[in-house]
Amino acid sequence: MTVHTEPLRPAGLAGHPGAGLVPTETPLYEMRNICKRYGSFTALDNMNFHIGRNEVVGLLGDNGAGKSTLVKMISGINPPTSGEIYVNGKRTEIRNRSDSEAAGIETIYQDIALVDSMSITRNIFLGRELVNRWGFMDHRRMQEVAIQILGSAVQISGIDNPDKEVGFLSGGQKQAVAIARAVHFKRNILLLDEPTSALSVRETEHLLAYVRDLKREGTSSVLVTHNLYHAFQVCDRFVVMSHGTKVFEARKEDTTIEEVTDHVIRT
Amino acid sequence: MTAAHSDPIHSQSDHIRRAVSDRAKRPLTVKVMDWVRDRPEGGIAVMFVLVQLCCIIGALLFPESFRYLLPANLSVLLKSIAVPGIMALGVGVLMVAGEYDLSVGAVYSLLSIVCANLANAMLGDIGMDPHSALAPFAAMAVALTLGVAIGLLHAFVTLRFNIPSFITTLGGMLLWKGTTLLVHGASALRFKPTEPFATLFGGGLGIIHASMIWFLAFALLFYFLLHHHRLGNHFYAVGGNRNAAVAIGINPNRTKAIAFAIAGFMAALSGVIAATRVGSIQPGGGLGMELQTIAACVIGGFALNGGRGSILGIVLGTALVFTIQDVLLLLRAPAFYFDMFVGALIVIAVVMNTAIRRGRA
Ligand SMILES: Nc1ncnc2c1ncn2[C@@H]1O[C@H](COP(=O)(O)OP(=O)(O)O)[C@@H](O)[C@H]1O
Ligand SMILES: [Mg+2]
Repeated sequence: MTVHTEPLRPAGLAGHPGAGLVPTETPLYEMRNICKRYGSFTALDNMNFHIGRNEVVGLLGDNGAGKSTLVKMISGINPPTSGEIYVNGKRTEIRNRSDSEAAGIETIYQDIALVDSMSITRNIFLGRELVNRWGFMDHRRMQEVAIQILGSAVQISGIDNPDKEVGFLSGGQKQAVAIARAVHFKRNILLLDEPTSALSVRETEHLLAYVRDLKREGTSSVLVTHNLYHAFQVCDRFVVMSHGTKVFEARKEDTTIEEVTDHVIRT
Repeated sequence: MTAAHSDPIHSQSDHIRRAVSDRAKRPLTVKVMDWVRDRPEGGIAVMFVLVQLCCIIGALLFPESFRYLLPANLSVLLKSIAVPGIMALGVGVLMVAGEYDLSVGAVYSLLSIVCANLANAMLGDIGMDPHSALAPFAAMAVALTLGVAIGLLHAFVTLRFNIPSFITTLGGMLLWKGTTLLVHGASALRFKPTEPFATLFGGGLGIIHASMIWFLAFALLFYFLLHHHRLGNHFYAVGGNRNAAVAIGINPNRTKAIAFAIAGFMAALSGVIAATRVGSIQPGGGLGMELQTIAACVIGGFALNGGRGSILGIVLGTALVFTIQDVLLLLRAPAFYFDMFVGALIVIAVVMNTAIRRGRA
């Protein structure tokens, strides 16, 4: 087990599973003793997790470890069975998308969460349409903003028509649209659940560079990935999950890629 | 985005902008061709134009035997489109939101009878002395409100217990049909409302009956609602991918409940307008209209599992179905041919749409 230097207190994972590193300053977001059950199945078991300021957290673990469950919980669409959530140190209920939106959280979901039968522009502005005071949409303005944000974050190959139905895009293009949407509306926290699974090498590099830039601008991120090299490129801290609990946590400077790999594989 | 990455951004956005403006400069013929290929109602628009052309040419070649272009026939044709069209607007909006309403035919009958009985009870019949000008309006308001209430009831049962609306509204269809027989029986009911109600809903301009004007007015209203209003956008979202809609913060139950209410409202409205036009109500008159209107929507390019469809598709689908009915009547073909044609048309329309979509995917 790693020994942490100050100011971080030792993790003591053996004694208190899921405790891990204790935040040194008030985190942007923190969950304590979170459990999530689907019927008799426990997807998250006494999980502690926090996102600091100007921080990129790498969330790692094998398939079925509970990473997406955790991400969906932070983004509000999968409320916990028990446990507490703190936003900026204040106890907060985040039980639906409106709650997390108020907390400034944006998510790139693993299952994309786009409507195939709608256009790229409409997907980007879904639920946040630019409307006049009677609720009618301003299509011209939405298209212009859509074109602008399609050019940021990832350089999406081959999209030249914002009116195109999302159902006709390739997997990588869909992922890029989901990224563009989250990136445009992000405020405090950006959650990225395996965002690069369908991206090209160039698009991936671009996205990772973007996540680093965001940190500098004050937006923290959680990056879920199976690629430890990507994680080591951008993350400040690593959390490894297995079977709904945290099995390892360390700051980048306190660990090595070999050690993290070892924990992902072994558990 | 930071300065370090600003160059490629602009080139990417400029690339899209250039492509968009190039597409805007396509010649009109190319635009029309692309529209036909890209839109779900494109195929049916072509078919509609072809059928109309055939009818017009036929009528010009054989003016004696095929009286399609006579004003009397056009007037009948427009009337026959209007009432199912009004109902189909509500059915279509609900289908976009990913749900069905099989009860609209039964609701149409029940609420037109409720409206007529209320109006007559409040001295709203033109033959009564004294009679009330307001009574039919009040009765109609009650009927429309009940339509909304019935739609919300279907929504509640469907969404609260998470069951298919196909089942809820199939139950609703039988329930409301039974209710009609319970409260009224099987006899025909007179509905001759006082002025100005009679003119407003039963009058007309030349060969264009008031019901057609109402259909077009509501089609225009629904066009703005479905294609340009935030609420319409949410109908497409919950119908197209419910989970994505939830993930993005749309309340699917609220959105679908509104769509159910609209379907109930339009069923009631079509019932009252039909009753005013005919002057009497047959309690079984709405029978089969639920399938006719769903058929019209499907022919107009609607997806059975939601998220796809347009107001133009509803208008064209309804117009095509009842043009065919009109032609068959003109040719004195037995009534069963109508069912056979509509049946074939549904299958052809879906095959065509699927083939076009597969070709593009
Ligand atoms: N809605 C659900 N109902 C029941 N079990 C679920 C549900 N969602 C996820 N699970 C289960 O929870 C576990 C964790 O899933 P997930 O968070 O998607 O894993 P990961 O993203 O780490 O691969 C899996 O075993 C999965 O089968
Ligand atoms: Mg996952």
